[in-house]
Amino acid sequence: MTAYRIDRIDLPAAELVDEVTRADLVFYGVDHSGVSYEGQVYIDASDAEPPTTRDPSRGYAGSFTVFGHAGCYGDDGHCLPGQGFRDEFDRRPRHPLTPFTRTVVVTDRVRSAMSSGATQISVTVVASVPPPEGGEEPGEPMRIESVRLLTYHG
Amino acid sequence: MAVGSPTAQAPATPIGFRRDAARLTPGQLAIIRRAFRAVQGLGDDRGYAHHSGIHGLPLPIGCDNAHGTEYFLPWHRAYLYFFERALRDREPDAMLPWWDWRVGFGRPAELPPPFAEPNDELGPNPLFDAEVSPLALQQGGNAVPPRTRRRAGHPAAPPLPSAAEVVDVLSIRDFTGFSEQIEGLHDRVHMWVGGHMGQIPYAAFDPIFWAHHCMIDRLWRVWQLEHPGATPPAAILDEALPPFRMTVRQTLSVTELGYDYAVSTASAPATPTPVPA
Repeated sequence: MTAYRIDRIDLPAAELVDEVTRADLVFYGVDHSGVSYEGQVYIDASDAEPPTTRDPSRGYAGSFTVFGHAGCYGDDGHCLPGQGFRDEFDRRPRHPLTPFTRTVVVTDRVRSAMSSGATQISVTVVASVPPPEGGEEPGEPMRIESVRLLTYHG
Repeated sequence: MAVGSPTAQAPATPIGFRRDAARLTPGQLAIIRRAFRAVQGLGDDRGYAHHSGIHGLPLPIGCDNAHGTEYFLPWHRAYLYFFERALRDREPDAMLPWWDWRVGFGRPAELPPPFAEPNDELGPNPLFDAEVSPLALQQGGNAVPPRTRRRAGHPAAPPLPSAAEVVDVLSIRDFTGFSEQIEGLHDRVHMWVGGHMGQIPYAAFDPIFWAHHCMIDRLWRVWQLEHPGATPPAAILDEALPPFRMTVRQTLSVTELGYDYAVSTASAPATPTPVPA
């Protein structure tokens, strides 16, 4: 099972810690064409791997979930975003399997890291996949394009 | 609010109430079971398989643009509305119940009893499971059993959302942020139930799907009351919600759609009584 590891994300300066009212880890380009899974997010716990625990003392920061499409049921190309002709007059909705965005609120973890004087954090995402009905192998359900840390200051 | 919005043509009329599935009276439970049993017996576009199939298989997968987008809440509100109307065509007093899946404060992680019992006094409980349509099974490569199954609380599934998590999500002030976070809690419930409910193509065939989405719709209603005036982005308000003949804007008021939410309800006829002069 794939785990995503992002070694370094810059933190705001430590002296701003009291101003941070909320911090989000935003995962862009999350694929949802496969089976349903939970992406468990760990901060500064690069050794996290399945099976994991939800233990904050071991870096657990929260999770996002993907209610998956569970495969393609059409002909070739049916589930591939970006196929077909589109121009500025095209009023059709975007392709339904266009990757989406997931956000995990990690305020306490980020404030804690800032308070410790750290200038960066690492992020590890581990997929937890319940057995799908029918018993087929889930494969590698998790694909993420990028991660961004957003902080909001009061 | 106990009545719908009046129009120039019609006065305000009583609305229906969706109730907590765990607190239905025997009579209310009997009505909703009769309604489910009746639609499950119809093989045409008034029936259960047709409505369940709108969400996933058979193709097209109708909910495809309703997950991971701002259409999530409006699309599913429209979906519930049209399915509930189909139930009420069979049983006019039938209203979908909601499953309060929040855990914590002594609330265990469990399915509501009306949906968890394999049988009722009339035979197989229509809220326990249902057939998946043969065409959906065929298009899915016969990868799942022909009747819905659950694996509630499987160790690899995420936990049901807690009451505290729901409070946090309800405190989000902008619609897009609220929608994204409530959808995340919604995903977890699908995965906690597991089985057919854990997969988009088959989820709506499980009768618990409707009670789960009623809870999501109820939380949107609660959020609307707590954040008056907060709406989906203006750019999508007049967009349609295919395959339903309804726009996003038309989903914003539940009372204009003829329903609201209550924990429980009880009714009695008002009998005129002579008052001594």
